[in-house]
Amino acid sequence: MWYRTGLLAFTILAFAAARATPARAQEPEERKAGVNRRDGRLLVSLALHDLFRAQDAQHLLSGFTSRVLVRVAIFRLDSPEPVAQAIRHTEILYDLWDEKFRVRRFEAGGKSETREVATAGEAIDLATALVAFPIVSLDRLEPGVAYRLSVRADLNPISQELLADVRRWLARPSPRSRMGSGDSFFGSFVSIFVNPRIDESERQLRLVSPSWMEPPR
Amino acid sequence: MRFPWLPALLALLPSLAQAQPPPEKIEPSATLPDGFTLRYRIERIEVRGNRKTRTDFILREVAFSPGDTVTADDARVDRARLRLLALGYFLDARLSMVKGERRGDVVLVIEVEERGTIILNAIHLGTSDATTLWGGLDVSERNLLGRGLTLGAGFVSSTRPKVDGATPALAFSLRMAGPPRLHGLLLSGSALFSRGSEFLRAIGATDRPDPSDFVALNVRRVGGVLGAGAVLSRTAFLLGEGRFETVRAEWPTLRDRDLGQGQSQPIAFLVRAGSSRLGSLALTLDLDSRSDPVLPRAGRHMVLSVEGATPACASQYTFLKATAQGSLYFPLRVGHVIGVHGLLGGVVGDAPYFDRFFVGDLNLLLPPRAYGINFSTQPSRNFFGTSVADHRYDKLAGRLLVEYAVPLWRRHGLFYRGDVFAALGVFALTNPDDLRREGASLGQRIPADLTADLGLRLDTYIGIFTLSVANAIGRLPL
Repeated sequence: MWYRTGLLAFTILAFAAARATPARAQEPEERKAGVNRRDGRLLVSLALHDLFRAQDAQHLLSGFTSRVLVRVAIFRLDSPEPVAQAIRHTEILYDLWDEKFRVRRFEAGGKSETREVATAGEAIDLATALVAFPIVSLDRLEPGVAYRLSVRADLNPISQELLADVRRWLARPSPRSRMGSGDSFFGSFVSIFVNPRIDESERQLRLVSPSWMEPPR
Repeated sequence: MRFPWLPALLALLPSLAQAQPPPEKIEPSATLPDGFTLRYRIERIEVRGNRKTRTDFILREVAFSPGDTVTADDARVDRARLRLLALGYFLDARLSMVKGERRGDVVLVIEVEERGTIILNAIHLGTSDATTLWGGLDVSERNLLGRGLTLGAGFVSSTRPKVDGATPALAFSLRMAGPPRLHGLLLSGSALFSRGSEFLRAIGATDRPDPSDFVALNVRRVGGVLGAGAVLSRTAFLLGEGRFETVRAEWPTLRDRDLGQGQSQPIAFLVRAGSSRLGSLALTLDLDSRSDPVLPRAGRHMVLSVEGATPACASQYTFLKATAQGSLYFPLRVGHVIGVHGLLGGVVGDAPYFDRFFVGDLNLLLPPRAYGINFSTQPSRNFFGTSVADHRYDKLAGRLLVEYAVPLWRRHGLFYRGDVFAALGVFALTNPDDLRREGASLGQRIPADLTADLGLRLDTYIGIFTLSVANAIGRLPL
């Protein structure tokens, strides 16, 4: 009987697992990136426009600031620790009266620039296109060693403090009858919904580049 | 110069920082000193998409009012959106602005997309040696009348147990709670009617679940709980509850247990014969810093509760029950999580059996209770060869469980998230008298057993469920 019950349970588990997308499907997509070397720096060019979907262009007209955070890290193929990381933070603001977009970009070292564009498409392009984006000084890369890039882009990232508050709102225990202690068919239950939209950001894009061998200098 | 009034505004900045000016003195539609952000005055607020949820309820959650000033990068906007999503009533929530009648005035538009708010809390289903079949449902509506009220109801029913003199089980539960609040009191109430039998061994070896070895104690309970909770901090929640119920117990004719070899001892029914009253007050402190309430990756969760029943609460039972439960989560580099769960509890006084620690609530491999009703005569498996098979309702209990969880997937249709987990632990339950018994072995003083589980934890569109081996084993007569 133990054997049959175990078999039944594992069949249920296997069925449930088969219906699900395996965790490895969440692994970063591989995408080609342009890699150049200029002025002693490694420069990367990469398009991340798919961070925005069709409806997001409409949301850009909300009058509230939209934020895009792009993090690019470079790794040796034989190490999990990044050699270097570069960050670009972009804010997109639609002026309701002047009907134009203001785009402000911050990069490492406190460098920032503000531009005005007429359309949402132009604003998205400024936020998501990396063109000759400096990642690391060539001095820190060893010729003959294989490297690859890891890229993460977040649309409207949420602060850790706010995220902690949200989790607390979700976790707040609902009063339950202490008279009816016991359990249910599913073993345990939590009477809350966890909305998949509640995450570290509204949307994330995780990519890796194909690896390349750093040429001799 | 693109913003000719910027120098004047910059000059104004120190005074703005020193004193909070009233909204009417703020220049609307002004670009703030950073040269980027815009500031507006809210002319009015429109809520769209809420067919069920009341507009005033939504407005209370977002904490914006007409006349307020709002900046384009106002942190309250993200907060309001997430607050609405966290209520669980909406699939999506968006805040936006459209031009108002005057330059600098805006209409704040809150658009929500409502979702179903009926939750399937539990499906009670099982079979055991003693009870051929029991079944029931428990559901909740979490947004009653669009006011954020929770109304829950459930029932369980069973066939007539095979224990001599037992009655079929029947229980109803009704619960209500006020809307979730960030501040102030969260009020709740619940009522329970239950009628069923508890099974007490009258003869035979302690590891035999044969129903003919047991006698039935028929019990009917009618009562309710009123509670008030308050948020103390970002991680602390305090709940106070008052409970009152009437208990009617019919003791069986056979009141002695045959120990063999001509020996017998009185059966401990652990509830007063006839009608009795139980009243108590309870305080629960919930400390929760988990990274996620359903599938946590890090943090800790501790629940401390104390319940006292005294004649001052119109109770004929006098007892004090204290329970401490804690969980710690340790993330591993590969994304897996180790969870350590501990429980310690004790009862002092003459608590009725249903308020003591039940072996089925500690051992994942045994049938669980539903609304306080037990359906099984199955003893604990006794992997350690202790006297645990003879223990069902005790005053002292402890459990330590270690769980290893592996995330399987995230965001896939009906099933948002899923973890496969394996858990292994030990538990012990005893009574002070057993603990002090002279000449008894350690296994007789502190009966302990192994408990384990392996399964899948699902975060789904309609709630959170656990499908596990222990669930299956606990509900079948094995």
